[in-house]
Amino acid sequence: MLQFILRRLGIMALTMLCLTVVVFFLISLEPNLKKLAISQTESRATQEQLESWLQRNGYRQNFFVRYGQWLGVVKKQPNIDASTGKAVSRFVFCDEPDVATYSGILQGDFGCSTKFRVPVAQKLLPALGATGILMFWVMVTMVPVALLIGILAGMREGSRTDRTLSAVSIMTTATPEYVSGVIFSVIFASWLGWLNGSAASATTQGVNFYNFTLPVMTMAVYGIGYIARMTRASMVEVMTQQYIRTARLKGLSFRSVVIKHALRNALIAPFTVIMLQFPWLLTGVVIVETMFRYQGFGYTLVEAASNNDIDLLLACSLVSVFVVLFTQLLSDIGYAYLNPRIRVQ
Amino acid sequence: MAFYKNNGDRVPDHILEMAGKARSGEMDRREFLALASVFGASVAMAYGLLGLPVPAKAQDTTPKPGGVLRVQMFVKAPKQPRLADWTEIANTMRQQLEALVYYTPEYTFEPFLLEGWEVNDNATEYIMKLRKNVTWTNGDPFVAEDLLYNLEAWCDATVEGNSMVARMGTLADKSTKKMREGGATKVDDHTVKVVLTEPDISFIPNLADYPALIVHKTFYENGADFVKTPIGTGPFELVSFDVGQRVVYKRRETGAWWGGDVMLDGVEFIDYGTDPNAAVSAFESGEVDANYETTPDYLQALDDLGLKKSEAVTSITIVARTNVNNKPYDDQKVRNALQLAVDNAVVLQLGQNGAGVPAENHHVAPIHPEYVELPKVERDVEKAKALLTEAGQLDFEHELISSDEDWHKNTGDAIAAQLRDAGIKVKRTVLPGSTFWNDWTKYPYSLTNWTMRPLGVQVLALAYRTGEAWNETGYSNPEFDKKLAEALSINDPEKRKVVMKDIEKILQDSGIIIQPFWRKVYNHHAEKVQGYFQHPMQQLNLGKVWISES
Repeated sequence: MLQFILRRLGIMALTMLCLTVVVFFLISLEPNLKKLAISQTESRATQEQLESWLQRNGYRQNFFVRYGQWLGVVKKQPNIDASTGKAVSRFVFCDEPDVATYSGILQGDFGCSTKFRVPVAQKLLPALGATGILMFWVMVTMVPVALLIGILAGMREGSRTDRTLSAVSIMTTATPEYVSGVIFSVIFASWLGWLNGSAASATTQGVNFYNFTLPVMTMAVYGIGYIARMTRASMVEVMTQQYIRTARLKGLSFRSVVIKHALRNALIAPFTVIMLQFPWLLTGVVIVETMFRYQGFGYTLVEAASNNDIDLLLACSLVSVFVVLFTQLLSDIGYAYLNPRIRVQ
Repeated sequence: MAFYKNNGDRVPDHILEMAGKARSGEMDRREFLALASVFGASVAMAYGLLGLPVPAKAQDTTPKPGGVLRVQMFVKAPKQPRLADWTEIANTMRQQLEALVYYTPEYTFEPFLLEGWEVNDNATEYIMKLRKNVTWTNGDPFVAEDLLYNLEAWCDATVEGNSMVARMGTLADKSTKKMREGGATKVDDHTVKVVLTEPDISFIPNLADYPALIVHKTFYENGADFVKTPIGTGPFELVSFDVGQRVVYKRRETGAWWGGDVMLDGVEFIDYGTDPNAAVSAFESGEVDANYETTPDYLQALDDLGLKKSEAVTSITIVARTNVNNKPYDDQKVRNALQLAVDNAVVLQLGQNGAGVPAENHHVAPIHPEYVELPKVERDVEKAKALLTEAGQLDFEHELISSDEDWHKNTGDAIAAQLRDAGIKVKRTVLPGSTFWNDWTKYPYSLTNWTMRPLGVQVLALAYRTGEAWNETGYSNPEFDKKLAEALSINDPEKRKVVMKDIEKILQDSGIIIQPFWRKVYNHHAEKVQGYFQHPMQQLNLGKVWISES
């Protein structure tokens, strides 16, 4: 078991390394570096000025040197002040030292966000926290509602309830978030005025029903349809099993057949689906957070990408790899424990 | 040589002459007010010369202290003021860092951190007098050394993206890339004398521009980071600065503001992103009291919320410019054909919802002091086609590039629609704002917005002179350069207008820009907010704003 976990962690590290090299390569492409230089100088700066900025701040060093610096195996160099010849800190706003140091991922330094002008950790951790809150509320509303719909629909296949609920779930899950989000905003924020169409105040002034319902609803509604369909399929299957028929013939009420016998068996499949929702939520938040301007992980990722904020973008990729692989690891281990027939190798 | 003191009661004779013309309607009043104040007239005197009372400011009750003003505005990454490329960036710092000169909503220039200035007859020598009661938030007095320190920093062309260099004119030495030796000298603790090698009437107006905020004399040595070391002279002190989220200021606690009592307990700038709907919901839910700008499409929505609207006529504009270094735009016939195929008034309606005044393809606005009205050029599709046929470019497919910002995109679409209407093939390309600026001077055919500048010659000098860094059209015309240099040195309005007429004509005839309109800018604020208004250059000085809680 320990070996299995270690091997998985090793794979995770390797994936991170590969992915960051790719990301690093992409953000080091010429147009992207230029974009960075423009955002750090002035949007109408001349070509020579941009080049000089890139040169001065070390972006013209060899690709592997820069990657090594980010990793922490090569020393990060401070800038040299042209007029005095003295070494000065590269990005003052991140308190970067004015001496050459090893300061990369291996040393626990995620670098400096050039867009937000703070150390990456200082931006990314609150953002992950904010996304955590969003995901929590999405899960709390999505899972019970979806299971309920799925069970109600699946216990009597083909009934009017089943058809209605199935139609609703198919509709919600077929509507992408960027469509349902707009529709909800128009209805609940613009027409009715019940809810706030922007979650911008949620990160600064705290989450409340008024500013947080729309993003949670938009994400949850999409997931509800999907999970409900899975639950229904599983429920339908269970309801045709021999032991259910036996239970009915034994004279048990339909209610107690469903609750005591069918439900537990029917919940195994949706459980897997729900576990799979975690990585999905992390990508799903990109749209919803940008749309409602909720400053979580998704929003940070978009901002980092559109401003070519190198260190922040790399840190975001690390987080994504970690979340996806770690949840997979957890569910693999979980399966092995839940089902004795599966052995981890 | 006669010097004319600002805010005084003495002005050169040509200003008196102009007053007569302004009274009789021969000259625009705004134009007169701007020029009169540059040459020393006080607001009272300038209006007096026109035979008008000074417009009363809407203040019916005495200001009450208290309350925090929350303003919806982009919170972009802070920069050194001289690198600021967005008015918003300067606004987030402007509550603590201040300018030397203030361009008033009445289109005159008033001393701000300066107590006053004197200018000689042909605008080559400026004597700048500092206010004596200004202190920095670290306790230092504001003295001549501070001003010299800032002038030097503004003239430093070795700093990438320092846009103040161009504004400093001949005070900046092109060869050394620094301030010209002996260009600015200390006369006494509160007086600095600036000597230019060429006349420059835009020197004082340039000091009112948004990047021209005065920083403390340790600013650049401390890493040029306003957030780390916020030392300023203004009415507020920085509390926190979160890019993309909000900026918090509190009323100044160390030392008094030279401008008197500050009524607000604090100011917050809150970022709601680029979607204007978010701003509407912010107002609806009472999360903000005022906004930086209301786009024309949303005027009605915010009016309906019971908010007060404020508007300003500006010389903010957008140009669909061709770059003459690219084929087929090297051919003047093609450029003129594009102009003739577009009706600027229609573009104003479609691109800007009619919120502005049509422009005439020469980048000098009616509110500019040196504006001369040229004969109207009507849309003429037949002539446009004839020109294209003559140039052999009738079948060329033009690619019109713009950024995705709302009014840029809409204006581009409107121009493209007009061109297609005239039978010219156009492809539209909309780039995200974050990549559009990578090559903004290089595109063969694209839209660029130009911000407000009080004098017409200012933009012309930045954008259309040979070899200027911001010359996006690649336009180079020695005759134009010569006339512009001449205009930059002429005081007498009538003589200057003669030159300006030629300049406008040259630019219009060259066909390098389709300049459809001049924008009006708007913003909104809650009824309880007093003294908040849209400034023609969208500058927010909140030291005198107050809130009357009902």
